[in-house]
Amino acid sequence: MQSSKTLQTGGTSAPRTKHKSISYSKWGYIFIAPFFITFLIFQLYPIFFTFRTSLTDAVGWEKVLNNSIIGFDNFHQLFDSSSTVYGKFWGALGNTMIMWFFNFVPQLGLALILASWFTDTRIHLKMQGFFKVTIFMPNIITAATIGMLFMSLFSFPIGPVNTFVQTSGISNMPVEYFRSVAWSRGLISFIQWWMWCGNTMIIMIAGISGINPSLFEAALVDGCSSRQIFWKITLPLIKPILIYNLTTSLVGGLTMFDIPHMMTQGNPNETTNTVARFIYTQGFTGSRNFNMASAASVVLFGIIIIGSLLIRFVLNDHEPKPGKALAKGVK
Amino acid sequence: MKKLVSLLLVLMLAVGCVGFAGAEAGKIKLVVWSFTNELQGMIEKYYLPNHPELDIEFQIYPTDGSAYTTKVDNLLGSNATSAEAPDIFTLEAAFVKHYVEMDWTGDLKSIGFTDEELATAFPVMAQIGQNAAGVQKGLSWQSTPGVLMYRASLAEKYLGVTSPEEMQAKVADWDTFLETAQELKEKSEGACKMVIGSGDIWNAYQYQRSEGWVVDGKLVIDDELLDFEELCYTLEQDDLTHKGGAWSEPWFAGMRGELETLCYFLPTWGLHYTLKPNCVAGWDAENPDSEENIKNATENGTYGDWRIVDGPVAYSWGGTWMGINAAKAATADDAKKAAMHDLIYFFTLNEDFLVQYAADSGDFVGSAKAVETILANGGTPNPFLGGQDHYAIFANAAALANGSLMSEYDDTINGLWNDYVTTPYTKGEKDLDTCLTEFKAAVAAAITTITVE
Repeated sequence: MQSSKTLQTGGTSAPRTKHKSISYSKWGYIFIAPFFITFLIFQLYPIFFTFRTSLTDAVGWEKVLNNSIIGFDNFHQLFDSSSTVYGKFWGALGNTMIMWFFNFVPQLGLALILASWFTDTRIHLKMQGFFKVTIFMPNIITAATIGMLFMSLFSFPIGPVNTFVQTSGISNMPVEYFRSVAWSRGLISFIQWWMWCGNTMIIMIAGISGINPSLFEAALVDGCSSRQIFWKITLPLIKPILIYNLTTSLVGGLTMFDIPHMMTQGNPNETTNTVARFIYTQGFTGSRNFNMASAASVVLFGIIIIGSLLIRFVLNDHEPKPGKALAKGVK
Repeated sequence: MKKLVSLLLVLMLAVGCVGFAGAEAGKIKLVVWSFTNELQGMIEKYYLPNHPELDIEFQIYPTDGSAYTTKVDNLLGSNATSAEAPDIFTLEAAFVKHYVEMDWTGDLKSIGFTDEELATAFPVMAQIGQNAAGVQKGLSWQSTPGVLMYRASLAEKYLGVTSPEEMQAKVADWDTFLETAQELKEKSEGACKMVIGSGDIWNAYQYQRSEGWVVDGKLVIDDELLDFEELCYTLEQDDLTHKGGAWSEPWFAGMRGELETLCYFLPTWGLHYTLKPNCVAGWDAENPDSEENIKNATENGTYGDWRIVDGPVAYSWGGTWMGINAAKAATADDAKKAAMHDLIYFFTLNEDFLVQYAADSGDFVGSAKAVETILANGGTPNPFLGGQDHYAIFANAAALANGSLMSEYDDTINGLWNDYVTTPYTKGEKDLDTCLTEFKAAVAAAITTITVE
């Protein structure tokens, strides 16, 4: 406390006595303390604990706190094509990437279109609030609930979708959707897309609203079409937002767990098993292989970091351009 | 308005705090953990009124999503003697083996159980409550023998069967079971099916094995399991089922009679808690025994149409065991140990109580001696079964089922067997050899502590 006060008052008000200036900074620290304390206990410590566990022989609950370090054997197994977990881990990563891709590309596309419509002064959409709320709505519902909802909607042999398909004459046999790879993956991607499109859209709208309106006005005066405005002004200027969206979506997509877990349990034949489900089944079923689950978590952590850096590297311009300078001026 | 809201919040907080007040002085405090409120209800109704010296703290975590086991594992693994840790905790069939194999779960003899007392339990339930070395760590207040339940009207209409004895001859083993299924399809022209789905017979069929999944640390695929696959394959491919899963909408529709289904493999609890409340749409759960409810269920549902027979194999499905926390039992004084013993004994083996409880609830209890007494007293004719006595048939299955087949990995391996073998093979997606190879690989990845060849 003493030292922080000295620091505060040190430079500018050295001649004055200490008591004259009152420092409120300790309240600042006190108010942010709860976050940091919870973060240290419930996030930072578990992260280090996971790193440590990944180097041990912790199989089963008895060994969670009482294990010995065996080096990089668990990682070696994850990268050794003859081990039992190799195919399952990398297969799960492949499934995750596929389902993420088919969720993210349409999501970004539609969110961009919607965001540019909502912010376009020429279109000037009515009832914007209603549309925004409706599109955002699925995001409020718990993923587990939505997983259960779709599971019952598409259930076999009797379920709403099957009944509809049969009564409307599209097919006379019920379809077992969750034994079809395309349907299972497609439904998971669709749910992710449907849930997160609104969220991405809101962030995009915020990004576009942050652009100086005089730029749009200038473009209009110069006779730009809506398309030209979108490609030449909006898109370059919301690039930081795009990078943010892409990165958070990558993190969320690669750690996808709840929808596949509730709806398909990785079936059919592991084609909807995600990396997070692989980690869960390693850690919390069978012989409780906490070491392998931790090692897989660490590898996933690495993959996410590399992916995020890649996104930054690819999308960030390194040469200074006029657009960049403008963006900085606006932000 | 805001003041009113904040006043309410303060009040709620205050009420919450009072609720958390500590143990009352001079009483023996027991912490009991469970995954349903069933045991709490039983203790409060039958036990606490006569035992004012006890102060029991109940903690209930639903088993869904393994919340309960994670909670138990966490606390017993890190802080087994803390005040919130359980003295007594309940274990269900899916994970009882896991806990009795662990040192965390105490030997019941350490709190005063004797061999004579333990001998009165049904062998199948006692076997499941023992670890590999034969130490008794869990006792069940119910035993859950499984039988075959069928609809008498459908059996008579399509098969000409008029008594349970005739029906038993039609399902005496799995070959006749399949023949009956084919006959049923023919006679009913495909309207009535033997079972809802092939998955429905797994709980019974697994007791057909001569060895469990894991023997001497090695994975064993019993030959009976391959026969099981062939049976399920024929059932699915020849269209002998409604192709629905257990607990699915068609499963319940069959119970209500909306989907003609002859057989269900269900245990004791399945009769009272699953089949009976689902025998008609709009079952009155508040007044199940009211005249109106029974009339509705008989006229519009399947009440009174069900009969039970032994079926092809004696099996057990479910059960709830009571186990003790070894660390807390070791530090408990004699009075507390006696209190724990008395409580567990009362609910699992006390003959007088179990006879009364069976009469009150219709449950099938865990003590063989109590069941004998009930049968000697004239049994329990059940109007839901058209006056048939369910106790006699359950007692037969309970005496025959082999509990030593169960292992701590059953939950995981059964799931993998279904996902990697039964489902893809019976739906004709893959051949059996491919399925078996993939199954073995999945077991090897999931359970690193056993050998898979």
